[in-house]
Amino acid sequence: MIVYVLRRLFLLVPVLVGVSLVSFALLQLVPGDPALILAGEEATEEVLARIRQEYGLNRPLPVQFAAYLRHAVEGDLGISIQSRQPVATLLAQRFPFTLKLAFLAIVVSATLGVIAGIVAATNRNSSLDIAALLGSLVGISLPIFWLGLLAILVFSVKLHWLPSGGTGTLAHLLLPALVLGAASSAVIARTTRASMLEVLRQDYVRTARAKGVSDRLVVYRHALGNAMIPILTVFGLEFGYNLGGAVLTETVFSLPGVGRLIVEGIFARDYPVVQGALLVVATTFVLVNLCTDIAYAFFDPRIRYD
Amino acid sequence: MRRMMALWAVGMLVLGSVAAGRSAQAQSPVPGGTLTFAAGADPDSLDPQNTQSNPGEQVNRMMYENLVRFNTKMQIEPALAESWTQSKDGLTWTFTLRKAVRFHDGTPFDAKAVKYFFDRVLGEEKPFKASLYTPFVQGAQVVNDNTVRVTLKQPFAAFLFRLAHSAGGIVSPAAHQKWGKDLTLHPSGTGPFKFVEWVKGDHVTLEKNDGYWGGHPLLDRVTVKTVKEDAARVLMLESGDADLILNIPPEDIPRLKKDARFVVESIPTARALYVVINVKKKPFDDARVRQALNYAVNREAIVQSLFQGNAELISGIVAPLQNGYAKLPGYNYDPKKAKELLAQAGASALKVKLWSPKGRYVKDFELAQAVQQDLAAVGVEAALSTMEWGAYLSATKTGPDQTDRELFLLGWSPSTGEAQWGMYPLLHSSQLAPKGDNRGFFVSKALDDALDKATTATSDQTRIGALREAQQIIIKEAPAIFLISPNMIVGATKKVHGVVNLPLELTYLTEKSWKEK
Repeated sequence: MIVYVLRRLFLLVPVLVGVSLVSFALLQLVPGDPALILAGEEATEEVLARIRQEYGLNRPLPVQFAAYLRHAVEGDLGISIQSRQPVATLLAQRFPFTLKLAFLAIVVSATLGVIAGIVAATNRNSSLDIAALLGSLVGISLPIFWLGLLAILVFSVKLHWLPSGGTGTLAHLLLPALVLGAASSAVIARTTRASMLEVLRQDYVRTARAKGVSDRLVVYRHALGNAMIPILTVFGLEFGYNLGGAVLTETVFSLPGVGRLIVEGIFARDYPVVQGALLVVATTFVLVNLCTDIAYAFFDPRIRYD
Repeated sequence: MRRMMALWAVGMLVLGSVAAGRSAQAQSPVPGGTLTFAAGADPDSLDPQNTQSNPGEQVNRMMYENLVRFNTKMQIEPALAESWTQSKDGLTWTFTLRKAVRFHDGTPFDAKAVKYFFDRVLGEEKPFKASLYTPFVQGAQVVNDNTVRVTLKQPFAAFLFRLAHSAGGIVSPAAHQKWGKDLTLHPSGTGPFKFVEWVKGDHVTLEKNDGYWGGHPLLDRVTVKTVKEDAARVLMLESGDADLILNIPPEDIPRLKKDARFVVESIPTARALYVVINVKKKPFDDARVRQALNYAVNREAIVQSLFQGNAELISGIVAPLQNGYAKLPGYNYDPKKAKELLAQAGASALKVKLWSPKGRYVKDFELAQAVQQDLAAVGVEAALSTMEWGAYLSATKTGPDQTDRELFLLGWSPSTGEAQWGMYPLLHSSQLAPKGDNRGFFVSKALDDALDKATTATSDQTRIGALREAQQIIIKEAPAIFLISPNMIVGATKKVHGVVNLPLELTYLTEKSWKEK
């Protein structure tokens, strides 16, 4: 098992190099000049030249990329063109926040989704089932942006229960986590339902019922464990997505997260920031996938990593 | 009975005076409280000589002060300098400084600090905003503790405006020596508010500077929050999480105005929006074609229906609130005349390319659409396209041989608040793109001369006269389709008083700002 984990971690290196290369190439292909954007409309030649010199934007591309990799290996992810802060510092400030938000969102969505999925699966074709299916369809289809603004309107402006944005307390994270969790919970609910239905059809479930095992034990002890594999996969994917892609929620609720950092960095052509942030997101995704894979082994003893 | 009446009378008197006291209190400033201010973007820097965007300048104006400052009518007022004189040849300015002023870190403000400012701006560090001063400032000398002399390389009429620019904020020399590049994280000025913390991307917190020379600030704290999403900012005002917000989308204005809790102000700015014409592309080299395009646009309708009155039509490229603006007749809406001129120039069925950004300026794309429609009505078929702002900036800055741009929408607000900077970078022949911002490649010797005269004038009269001449030439030659000057919309709760809204699209608070409990 340990060897397996180490091997997977080792594979992280080529993944990161690949991500760096692709993000670097894409950023260079996009038209737009970070010096111009930083300096604004009133830029003079000297200011533009100074910015370009400071960030080495005039060097040939392979030289820039090689220098970037060299520094990245030492932990120096460069300096943000927009804010002139070290990228590593920026990420260190924003990433824990995004982590908290994504974690809270996945807790919300996992709870809601799994329960809804189980209810739907155990009451198949009943009105509960249809309600759950409809609910999840709505949850996946609703634009997060709109849902977020609506949530602020209802819970903040009208009811004054929760703050409308910004950070500070757990209360500030609640609405964004709910909104972010809404779409995820829909996916999780559907996956849970489908997986549970598949498992509940199995012979061993019928045997358990015939033995006289209570319905609740059948579902939670015998069925759910076996249904978890696809559900875990979705957990991992949704958590990973929330870590890097929650930019809409972050924008609506004015949260200083990594998603906004990446998008705003792209608009400003802030190469170091975007590349650095993508590296972090890629790493997290790989680690989350690794954890998911290891979790499979817990739920299915037949899976062994040697 | 008599006793009862007397008691009753006294009771009424007491009640009456209490009531009178209460209502008087509602209008006189109340000290204390925290004001939350939601802006649309994070400051880029809190070091005035390196700050390039409005959100940064706004916060700086609360912590730093300049030798002179603007009032809301864009006139120059004393600030850290109480008075000044100019030598006859315009090359030497002498400033008498205010006494007993200290920086937030305790360093005294004096002539040495002012000399330090000029040395920094002219020296090797080359901060981003140095070019506001380097072309014409020679140096500064300390005459005595509160007198400083600045010598110029050439007479520069707009010198005071450059000093009033946000980049002229005087920084504590001790702080600069100690922090250097990190000054942006440790601001130290002489202003009414002191720096507390800056959580990047989230907020900046300031607290009152009790030692401020202008008196104790009324507010205890100011929190400037970064809220990118327009709708979310409005919701913050409505939910009570913000007391003051900027850049309200026009669709939200009627709803906020109807709400008795809020005050919405539509403030004229020094910004001009216009469509640049690439005069190097035929037939735009013919002035008649350019004038025709100007006659074709119905600016009144645009102001009324597109901006709901929250804009002003302008006859040239200079907006009314730029110091040095001259009220001159422009192009009235005359489609017939437009068609005549086009016919004369042999350009009756023109096909043109019209570019516009989207979301960079208020209603920019809709404005371009309105122009497109107006042009179509006089036989000019404009193909409208848009691109993301970063790409747009680059695409409109290339040289004449590397571009196929024809008509493109842009805006300009001279950060020095005066018309020389509102015209020179855009239309002087020395500023042709890609080096400068003359993105339409317009060249006119007469205009160059007028602008040069305005730049080096030694008297205000000469300066204003030359600026007027320049504006006349620009209107006649029509190097752009002149459009409007948009207002900036600021919203606040009724409890907030004393907010400063500069036409430079800067909103900030002073020691006199206060908030009812």
